[in-house]
Amino acid sequence: MSQEVSIETPPVKDATPAATHREAHGAAHAVSHAENLKFAVWLFLASEVVVFATMIGVFIVFRIRDPQVVLAVHHNTNILLVTLNTFLLLTSSWAMVMGLREIRQNNPQGLIRWFGLMCLLGLVFVGLQYVEYQQLAKEGIALFNQGNEFDGFGARFYAPTAFHGVHVIIGVLWGLYVINNTRKGKYDNKNYVGVEVFGLYWHFVDVVWVILFTMLYLV
Amino acid sequence: MTDIEHNADTGLQVVDPHDDHDEQFSFVGRTFPVNVYTGVFIVLGITTLIEVVISQIFERSGLLIFIMLVLATFKAGLVVWFYMHLNKDNRVFLACLLIPVILVVLAVMFLSIVPAGGYS
Repeated sequence: MSQEVSIETPPVKDATPAATHREAHGAAHAVSHAENLKFAVWLFLASEVVVFATMIGVFIVFRIRDPQVVLAVHHNTNILLVTLNTFLLLTSSWAMVMGLREIRQNNPQGLIRWFGLMCLLGLVFVGLQYVEYQQLAKEGIALFNQGNEFDGFGARFYAPTAFHGVHVIIGVLWGLYVINNTRKGKYDNKNYVGVEVFGLYWHFVDVVWVILFTMLYLV
Repeated sequence: MTDIEHNADTGLQVVDPHDDHDEQFSFVGRTFPVNVYTGVFIVLGITTLIEVVISQIFERSGLLIFIMLVLATFKAGLVVWFYMHLNKDNRVFLACLLIPVILVVLAVMFLSIVPAGGYS
């Protein structure tokens, strides 16, 4: 029985000026698409800056006007728990950027490992935030306090921290989506803008917490 | 910023703005045996510890609050500059961040000079 022998010839690169022009346009289009996508995410983050900065601004004005209320709350705050939570979020941001580094080195498994850690840390952050809320509620620091020493604090504190917590939850879901896409082979060292734009969001959430941590808990 | 350089073969070539895989971390003139991302993470952690210790040791004062705000801004700047790649990306993105912040800072300054009891 004779065997069929197939001889595969390597694809010949079309080196005509027209083909070269098309290839060049393709590369330029890819860059343009990535830059546009990133710009869109930055504009979205700009709108987020306005929302968060307004809530922080409201708290600052309250801190200036009623410093004794804020100091009374600080005496009842579990600073160790909040510091631990801050470290968790900083570590998750590091895990995020290390995952991006892995995909740039064409290592999808590395990205999945780092992003898995990042999502886990995000979930623990939200869980500990819930524990903190419970502790504050037991101390009598509720969303609306009237007539006690914490009067006016609750809404100005819970609004930015809860809004931030929701952003962490959305970030974890987005992170899981990126992990799923990576498992399907959608990202490599030539195409990782989807990972990059998620990174912008996650680091922004981290930056917001860095500011919130100092403004709400330390000063 | 992402550059597109001319190339003899293709006419155009995409240059990765984030080709810093092996970039080593340098801080105050010294280079450390870790990549830049890990180095930034270590600095962020140490700065956070300093913040917490200072806030627990010293009484609240104008100077303390100023120092804390400088440290928080430094930390946020590190994340934005290195992790969000503003050190290499398009500077228009920086404007997206700074313009709303400046607007809100001005608004807070304006609010804080309004007397709590009103003008009477």
